[in-house]
Amino acid sequence: MNCYLCERDMPLQANWRSLFLNDLEEVICSRCRSSFERLEKGCRICGGLGTDICSDCSKWETTAYAGVIDSGKSLFRYNPAMKEYLHQYKFLKDIVLAEVFAPVLREELRSQKAVIVPIPMNENKLKERTFPQVDRLLDAASLPYVYYLGKNEVRLGGKSKADRIASEDVFWWNGKPVPEKVLLFDDLYTTGSTMRMAAKALKAEGVKEITILALIRA
Amino acid sequence: MKDIEEFLTGRVWLRNFTPFPKEQIDQAILNGKISISRGITDELQCARCLEKSPQKIISFFCSACVGICYYCRHCIRMGRVSSCTELITWSSPSTITPQSHSFHWNGNLTPLQERASQEVQKSLFQQNDHLVYAVCGAGKTELLFPPIFAALQKGQRVCVAAPRTDVVLELSPRLRAVFPDTIIHSLYGNSPEESGFASLVIATTHQLYRFQNAFDVMIVDEADAFPYSYDLALKNAVIKARKKDAPIVYVSATPSDQLQKQVPEISQIFNRFHGHPLPVPEFRSLWGYDKAFAKGKIPKKLIAWVDEKIEKEEPFLVFFPTIEMIEQAIPLLQERHPEIAAVHSKDPDRKEKVMKLRQRQIPGVLTSTILERGITIPNVQVAVVGADQPVFNAAALIQIAGRAGRSADYPDGEVVFFHNGIVRQMDKAKQLIISYNGGSRR
Ligand SMILES: [Zn+2]
Ligand SMILES: [Zn+2]
Ligand SMILES: [Zn+2]
Ligand SMILES: [Zn+2]
Repeated sequence: MNCYLCERDMPLQANWRSLFLNDLEEVICSRCRSSFERLEKGCRICGGLGTDICSDCSKWETTAYAGVIDSGKSLFRYNPAMKEYLHQYKFLKDIVLAEVFAPVLREELRSQKAVIVPIPMNENKLKERTFPQVDRLLDAASLPYVYYLGKNEVRLGGKSKADRIASEDVFWWNGKPVPEKVLLFDDLYTTGSTMRMAAKALKAEGVKEITILALIRA
Repeated sequence: MKDIEEFLTGRVWLRNFTPFPKEQIDQAILNGKISISRGITDELQCARCLEKSPQKIISFFCSACVGICYYCRHCIRMGRVSSCTELITWSSPSTITPQSHSFHWNGNLTPLQERASQEVQKSLFQQNDHLVYAVCGAGKTELLFPPIFAALQKGQRVCVAAPRTDVVLELSPRLRAVFPDTIIHSLYGNSPEESGFASLVIATTHQLYRFQNAFDVMIVDEADAFPYSYDLALKNAVIKARKKDAPIVYVSATPSDQLQKQVPEISQIFNRFHGHPLPVPEFRSLWGYDKAFAKGKIPKKLIAWVDEKIEKEEPFLVFFPTIEMIEQAIPLLQERHPEIAAVHSKDPDRKEKVMKLRQRQIPGVLTSTILERGITIPNVQVAVVGADQPVFNAAALIQIAGRAGRSADYPDGEVVFFHNGIVRQMDKAKQLIISYNGGSRR
């Protein structure tokens, strides 16, 4: 087959893992794989740069969103290769690219005890994009997930960061009883406001412990 | 409406991504001036690029049309085409008035160029396909000027298609200078938008996906070039972009046997415009070069070659079979000279580095096969590392050898094929070059 990203022919590598563990198939070549950078152990909440807790998260912990996230991490840096990937996946809508990180996500989340909750998309946005990009990452990795939240349309343009943080009801609870432990999953962690707002909404409904996982930390 | 007609004539475009207000497009559709087709046909073929392999036509659950939908991966960079997207084209009789054209060129054609030029013109007149089989440096572009002008004057729409953006960028200013009154559009990935109805379109073969039944004359430059010769989709795009039975002129330094058989009319030019023969490649063994690079060593014979060029201050190009090998080699060769640069197909600074080499600001460039065409560097010396690798077929090797000795001031130039054992394609390349030179002595 050809690499999903660079289109080069990939010799079929029958490695022992795929033979014995029935792992997910690699859809990109080793060269493209190595262009992505894993994040080393960083901030205990978002996985960003910093020991113990990063400066972004420290600021959050002085706001009304303090303590809504108990722990978390991000898997990859937002380097040029990752920007290119996300562009092709989300904006060119090349849905098969959901499979690129399936092996990594499966490895990371297969023994997860908490219930996986993807950050939802707003209905209008979903129609425009034609596919829920966060869910598809989990689907590709054959990971189960449950929705407890819906998302209202947010117009970020023109609003200051403070205003955005103040928009309390970006996420709404869908009425399903929540579990004790939740793992919130998103594709890209930028300012942290999405995760914080979703976590706050879930905790308000009685979730005790929230871990977050982002594929990419910007 | 006039600007919509100019834009959409002969084009297929995503309905939702035109540069015009949605209401105007909707109105033109209602009036029957624009026709609509589905992005992916019932036979699961992309209506834009004609791709139909199951690896490229992907099914998914679509949140827009709420059902199973298909999209095309092949042409996705031009905006995704799916079952529920619509392609539009201008479908009513043309109201575009013919333009007047002028021809500003005071160069001279050599007698061989002149003959080929007239032969092309005759083929176009008789609506026959034609092959211009001319060695690198024969002056292929110039000989096309008169036939292009003749076609334009007849009110025909002409397309010059080339496999890569570099070639489009090289051809565009030359053609714009020669035909100053003609509306010319240059189309490649992310090219700036141009207005009006272009009588002459210079496009990458990829951009032809966006045309249909558009051109009275198709000129396909470097008709053998990767990826054209390998990509059936691009071949089909040429057929789709021309009007029915419009003649195609293929231009190539290394046409495949198949092309030579298929095209009825052929003009051959085996002389370079400066009259000197093509440099004949020399074979030099470089045993175990791949293992050497992997272990962080440069084979001695290659060091000697590079050192000699640095010493003599001759600009050089070293071609490698893979990007990996370039990456292994570049730090090692930079120990010989820190300014040696490496380029590959996705390198955004490619043009700049080549320019520096041409201006002698850097001693040499390591490159993948991407640089095999479209560059002239006076006195350049050429080496191929791993000429035995399959990526270097005879056509590619001939093109690479053709980089040397292009300028009249330096008609010679060394061409060395370093190898791990001579293979047939290397022999074939050398034999063909010798035969071209024999032809020029006749
Ligand atoms: Zn790849
Ligand atoms: Zn943090
Ligand atoms: Zn297509
Ligand atoms: Zn659809």
